[in-house]
Amino acid sequence: MSYFRDSFKKMVVVLLGAFGWVSIYPFMASARVGASLIELPAKPVSIPLAEWTVAVVDWLAINIEPFFDFIQLVLNVINDALLAAIQWIPIFVVKIAGLDIRFPVWSLILFFLLWYLSGELSTGLLGLITVWLSANFGLYIEMTETFALTLTAAFIAIALGIPSGILAGISETVNHMIRPVLDLMQTMPVFVYLIPAVIFFGMGAAPGAVATVIFAYPPSVRLTNLGIREVPTELVEAGQAFGCNYWQLLTKVQIPVARPSIMQGVNQSIMLALSMAVVAALIGAGGLGGEVVRGIQRMRVGQGFVAGLSVVFTAMILDRATANIGAREE
Amino acid sequence: MPSIEIEGVYKIFGEEPERAFDLISEGYGKDEVREETGLVIGVQDISFDIQNNELFVIMGLSGSGKSTLLRCVNRLVDPTRGKIVLHADGNDYDITSADKESLREIREKQVSMVFQNFALFPHRTVVNNVAFGLEIQGVDKKERTRKAKELIEVVGLEGFGDSYPSQLSGGMQQRVGLARGLATGADILLMDEPFSALDPLIKVQMQDELLDLMEEMERTILFVTHDLDEALKLGDRITIMEAGQMVQKGSPEEIIVNPKTEYVADFVENADPSDVLRAETVATKDLHLTDNNRIRMNEVTEIEVDSNNKAVQGYISGTPVPIKSLVDYENLTEDAILSSSPDTPLSTIMRARLSFSSNPIVVLKNNEVIGYVTEQNILQGLLEKGRQD
Repeated sequence: MSYFRDSFKKMVVVLLGAFGWVSIYPFMASARVGASLIELPAKPVSIPLAEWTVAVVDWLAINIEPFFDFIQLVLNVINDALLAAIQWIPIFVVKIAGLDIRFPVWSLILFFLLWYLSGELSTGLLGLITVWLSANFGLYIEMTETFALTLTAAFIAIALGIPSGILAGISETVNHMIRPVLDLMQTMPVFVYLIPAVIFFGMGAAPGAVATVIFAYPPSVRLTNLGIREVPTELVEAGQAFGCNYWQLLTKVQIPVARPSIMQGVNQSIMLALSMAVVAALIGAGGLGGEVVRGIQRMRVGQGFVAGLSVVFTAMILDRATANIGAREE
Repeated sequence: MPSIEIEGVYKIFGEEPERAFDLISEGYGKDEVREETGLVIGVQDISFDIQNNELFVIMGLSGSGKSTLLRCVNRLVDPTRGKIVLHADGNDYDITSADKESLREIREKQVSMVFQNFALFPHRTVVNNVAFGLEIQGVDKKERTRKAKELIEVVGLEGFGDSYPSQLSGGMQQRVGLARGLATGADILLMDEPFSALDPLIKVQMQDELLDLMEEMERTILFVTHDLDEALKLGDRITIMEAGQMVQKGSPEEIIVNPKTEYVADFVENADPSDVLRAETVATKDLHLTDNNRIRMNEVTEIEVDSNNKAVQGYISGTPVPIKSLVDYENLTEDAILSSSPDTPLSTIMRARLSFSSNPIVVLKNNEVIGYVTEQNILQGLLEKGRQD
């Protein structure tokens, strides 16, 4: 019932808007033509949204700088700690036939980790081989940088995304409020929020991480929300019929039943985080993305290709590591 | 003593449901109210009591409001008007006026539920599904696991405690659902078409097991179904619903013998009456004594009675034979005339006749002859469903 009423309201608004535009358009057009006779601007702007945006961004940058500094600090601490932890793991170099062949211990760790997480030996081997290859392409440091940045951003995106998704799943109001925000985050061209990120957080890993968080946040929210909403009515009723209170219903029924969907959201967030972590190289986030950017700037096809291939390797590792978590216990 | 009292319950779906009552009081039906106001009448003015340890069946087609009514009893659906009182553990619980917390407590301890599609939690093992209600009650893990395992045995699922629901067949899943419903120790069990999703054979098996369970455990069961045969088989009493209203209420036999409306008659038309009709209903009760105080049942069989009309002796072709209850006809070796009680189902009589003797069966009430059942009576009973025009 309310659905029809809502659509009706929307239709009225759209029709009124269209009517209003059609009725004032001739005046607007003639005004523009009149102006153009004198001096034609390059791009006629009657709503200076761009200028307003600048004003808002400037105001934010000046007035809540401590807040941004704090975020920057947190992001850098997590990222650097993670990076230091990965890079602390030694690499053995063996001379074979006059070549320095690298054997990173990290590839071995990944081998066991992937094997354990996916339950398949072949997935473990995939991790072993890809990291070994990248290390011998000479991209070991870059790969670990990308890894750290991706995981930092994905961790934050998921830590924010799952609770938001749960709230949206149980509350219609939150759902209505959050949906346009998510749409905006996902459809705005990714390069656009690199600019304010730089203004707020300077160059380096922190703005990259912020942009990555923004990009990786929506899938966690959406899939958690969907998972909660798709819990069969009968299961919710069963929970209620046995006397669950609100919190018990959520923690003992809705969230566990939605788990496969939530884990899919986690997987998606990590994959999107990786793709953004690469793009974030444009604002100095470094890593494999940095190599790609340098490859483009200097027209070095080979360098770009090898770095790109290592991005694919990283994606495969992250995907295989997280894809099965949701399904494993079923 | 009643266990559930339902009084004047209405459920109207839609915004501002009060708008419907004016139209209802003017005698408008479900369809007209929907056209006028957009409101949907789920349940209209239902009142009845369910006795302690009774298996009460609500029967109706989909959309008749039977599941809605059931959900009013534990307020998964809030009734728009009316009152429902539960009597359990020696206390009265007015569920319709209960606040959130007392409602939750009633659901936790007094009334549990079994669902049509089982509604088992896919992330929990069988044991943890069965123990769910106890977990909510705050029973410690050891105790609730013990209790759950006990009930898993009762429903015949030993050895499946650590399986997940998805590894079980439909019938087994519903056993888990039943065990979960029983585990909380609630006096009242609501069953929402629990066997509708099962294969016919499994369904019959589960019905038998439910009846066996009812013998052993003291529970009041409110059972919803769209299957008349199931209702007739299980129900101590049955109420039939149509378009949100109760059209008839009574024992299975009353429903079969005397359907009150066309709607009920249509249902009953295809039902198998042999389990429902009783000996007394189909028997010839018009008894004539011969000169030597005998009742002639057919050309060859006679019953001699005393002055109080009590059976004394049976005769087949003039030879005296004993009168034996048909309950243990399988153990009879000599010739005899079989007797039944007034409440013996027709199907039992037919079985005894088929394997023992095709002679008429005498119906005794405290040894007094109240009638006899011949082949003629049986056929008439089956065809006319006990209706005597």
